[in-house]
Amino acid sequence: MNVGVAHSEVNPNTRVMNSRGMWLTYALGVGLLHIVLLSIPFFSVPVAWTLTNVIHNLGMYVFLHAVKGTPFETPDQGKARLLTHWEQLDYGVQFTSSRKFFTISPIILYFLASFYTKYDPTHFILNTASLLTVLIPKMPQLHGVRIFGINK
Amino acid sequence: MRPEPGGCCCRRPLRANGCVANGEVRNGYVRSSAAAAAAAAGQIHHVTQNGGLYKRPFNEAFEETPMLVAVLTYVGYGVLTLFGYLRDFLRHWRIEKCHHATERKEQQDFVSLYQDFENFYTRNLYMRIRDNWNRPICSVPGARVDIMERQSHDYNWSFKYTGNIIKGVINMGSYNYLGFARNTGSCQEAAAKVLEEYGVGVCSTRQEIGNLDKHEELEKLVASFLGVEAAMAYGMGFATNSMNIPALVGKGCLILSDELNHASLVLGARLSGATIRIFKHNNMQSLEKLLKDAIVYGQPRTRRPWKKILILVEGIYSMEGSIVRLPEVIALKKKYKAYLYLDEAHSIGALGPTGRGVVDYFGLDPQDVDVMMGTFTKSFGASGGYIGGKKELIDYLRTHSHSAVYATSLSPPVVEQIVTSMKCIMGQDGTTLGKECIQQLAENTRYFRRRLKEMGFIIYGNEDSPVVPLMLYMPAKIGAFGREMLKRNIGVVVVGFPATPIIESRARFCLSAAHTKEILDTALKEIDEVGDLLQLKYSRHRLVPLLDRPFDETTYEETED
Repeated sequence: MNVGVAHSEVNPNTRVMNSRGMWLTYALGVGLLHIVLLSIPFFSVPVAWTLTNVIHNLGMYVFLHAVKGTPFETPDQGKARLLTHWEQLDYGVQFTSSRKFFTISPIILYFLASFYTKYDPTHFILNTASLLTVLIPKMPQLHGVRIFGINK
Repeated sequence: MRPEPGGCCCRRPLRANGCVANGEVRNGYVRSSAAAAAAAAGQIHHVTQNGGLYKRPFNEAFEETPMLVAVLTYVGYGVLTLFGYLRDFLRHWRIEKCHHATERKEQQDFVSLYQDFENFYTRNLYMRIRDNWNRPICSVPGARVDIMERQSHDYNWSFKYTGNIIKGVINMGSYNYLGFARNTGSCQEAAAKVLEEYGVGVCSTRQEIGNLDKHEELEKLVASFLGVEAAMAYGMGFATNSMNIPALVGKGCLILSDELNHASLVLGARLSGATIRIFKHNNMQSLEKLLKDAIVYGQPRTRRPWKKILILVEGIYSMEGSIVRLPEVIALKKKYKAYLYLDEAHSIGALGPTGRGVVDYFGLDPQDVDVMMGTFTKSFGASGGYIGGKKELIDYLRTHSHSAVYATSLSPPVVEQIVTSMKCIMGQDGTTLGKECIQQLAENTRYFRRRLKEMGFIIYGNEDSPVVPLMLYMPAKIGAFGREMLKRNIGVVVVGFPATPIIESRARFCLSAAHTKEILDTALKEIDEVGDLLQLKYSRHRLVPLLDRPFDETTYEETED
C-alpha cells in the first residue's frame, strides 16, 4: 500500500518521462556524450558521430526496452513486472507526447550521423542497424510482443 | 490551476471597513495593479476567484521547480542509477559482499522468492541515507525529544548504538499540533485514573460486549465538538477510512477522489467496489467537469444514473500543506447533489479560531458536510478515529461498519485522553489552555512560514497550514539535510522519490503549539545555516521582510522579483 506516499499515482514510472525538464536533461545528456567522444583524439568526426548514435541507441534499448518492471515496489501487485519501461509509459496509451519525443530523437540523431559521416557505406549500415533496434520495439503493434522469446 | 493575471486587480474590496479583501491579494501581499500583471506572467499561483464564498484570503502557492534544479535532480538520479547498476553487477559476481537477503543455492530451481529489480531503489538509494528514518527515540515526543545515537560502519546496512542519547532534540516531525503529547498534566492524570478503573483494553468489538459508557461519553462529546448530530469512534484512524467507505458506497456508485488522498482513503475506495475517478489536486474546475460528466453520462455502459456520488477530500493534505477549498466543494456538492466525505485527520484541532477544523476555519455550517471523519492521533495526542454526521448515518454505521462488527473498540485510557484533551480545547475544563494552544499554533504557523519564505526557501502549501514542506529536490540533499539538522539538534522528516514525484523531494516540518518562539527561532537559525550550506534557497521571488504587525491591520508591501 502506498502509505506515506504523497500522491495516488500507482506507478510513478508512467509519469517520470513527462516531468518538467526531463526532455532537456535527456538532450543535454546526449550532447555531453557527443562532446566527450569528440574530445578523444583518436576518433575522427564521422567515427564520433557513429559512436554517439550507436551508444545512444544501445543505452535507449537497454533502459527502455530491455529492463522490465519497476525499480521500486508498486501497490498494484506487480501489474507492470513483465512490461518494459516503454510499455509502461502513460499506462500503455500510444502516441502521447513523451512517446513521440523519444521516437523522433533517435531519428534526428540518425540524420545528423548520416550527414556527418558523408553517407559512407560502413557507417550507414551500422547506423541503420542500430536505429532499427531502437525503432522497431516502439511500434504500437509490438506492445507486449516478445519476438523469439527475447526478454520474456 | 490557471493564473489570472489581470482579473484580480479589477475587483473592489467587498468589506465596509476597508480591510484588504480577497480580490486584491495575491500570495498574501498586496501589489499595485500594473506590477501585478507584469510580474504574474512568470509565476504560477493559486488565487481565489470567488470573493463571496471565502471570508478570508486563501493563499496557497506551489512554486514551480526552477529548470536548472530539475535538470540537476535528474542528473543526480541518473548517476545514482548507473552506480546502482554497477554495484548490483559487482554483487552478482561476488566481487562485493552482498548484505541483503538472497535465496539459498538449494532454492534456486524454485520460482524466485524475491523480485530483485523491485528492490533496486531500496538497495541502492534508500540504504545510503537510511539513517534519516526510523530513528529510535527514548522520551515522549513533545516539543523536544531524546534520540538514541547510532552509528553505522558498513554504510547503513546495520546500525550500532553507541549508548549516547542526544537529549533535547527539537522535534519538528511529530504531528503534535496542539502540544498534547505530554507525559505530565491533567490528561495524563485522568488517563491513569481510568486505567486503574477500567483496565487496559476491552478485547471485544463494539457490537459484542466492548461498548463501554466511556465510549458513549466520548461520542457525545465528539458530536458536540463538531457541531453534528451524532458521532462514532473507532480504534484506528486508518481503519476508520478503509472500513467505513465500503459501508457507505458500493457497486454502482461513483467516488470522486482527490489526486493526493491518503492511502487509507484510496484503500477504502478500492475495497468498496465503486467506480473511482480522480480529480486534480484541489482543482475545482477538474472536479466540476467530473461531476458534470458523471451526471450527464451516467454509468459507463448502461448509462444508468449513479446510485450515489461521493466526493472524498481531506482537510489538510499532509505532504503538500494545502487546505481543501471547502466553500467551493460544498457549493459544487449542493449544485450537483453529491455527497461529501471530509477527512480531517490533520486539520481537526489545528485549524479554525476554536479548533474545530477546516469547517470552522472557513466559517461554514457543519451540517453541509455529509460525513465528517477525523482522527484523534494528531491534535489530541491519542489514537483512533471518528465519523460524525446525521443520526441516521451514524446509526447505520453502527450496524453496518466493518470496524463495529469485527474490530475491538477503543482502549479506555485512550478514550479518557481524548475526552480530557477535547474538553480542554473546548474550554470546558475551566481553563483557557485550549484557546491559548490554538492561538499559539496559529501564530507559530504564520511566523515560521513567513520567516522561511523571507529566507528564500520554496515552501509549498497554504499560509495557514501547520504542515510546512520545504523543497529539497536533489536526492543527495535529502540525506544531507536530515543529517545536518540532526547534527544541529533538530529532528526533521525528509521524503523523496518514489513517495513524492521525482523532482519534488522535500523536508516536512510539523509545527506545534508546544514550540515556543525561542525554539522556533533556534530552528530557523539552523535552517538558515543549513540552507546556505546546501544552497537550498531556490525561491525566485524573495519577499521583503515585513514589520511585525498582526494580521488584521492593512499592510501594503511590494514584492521584489
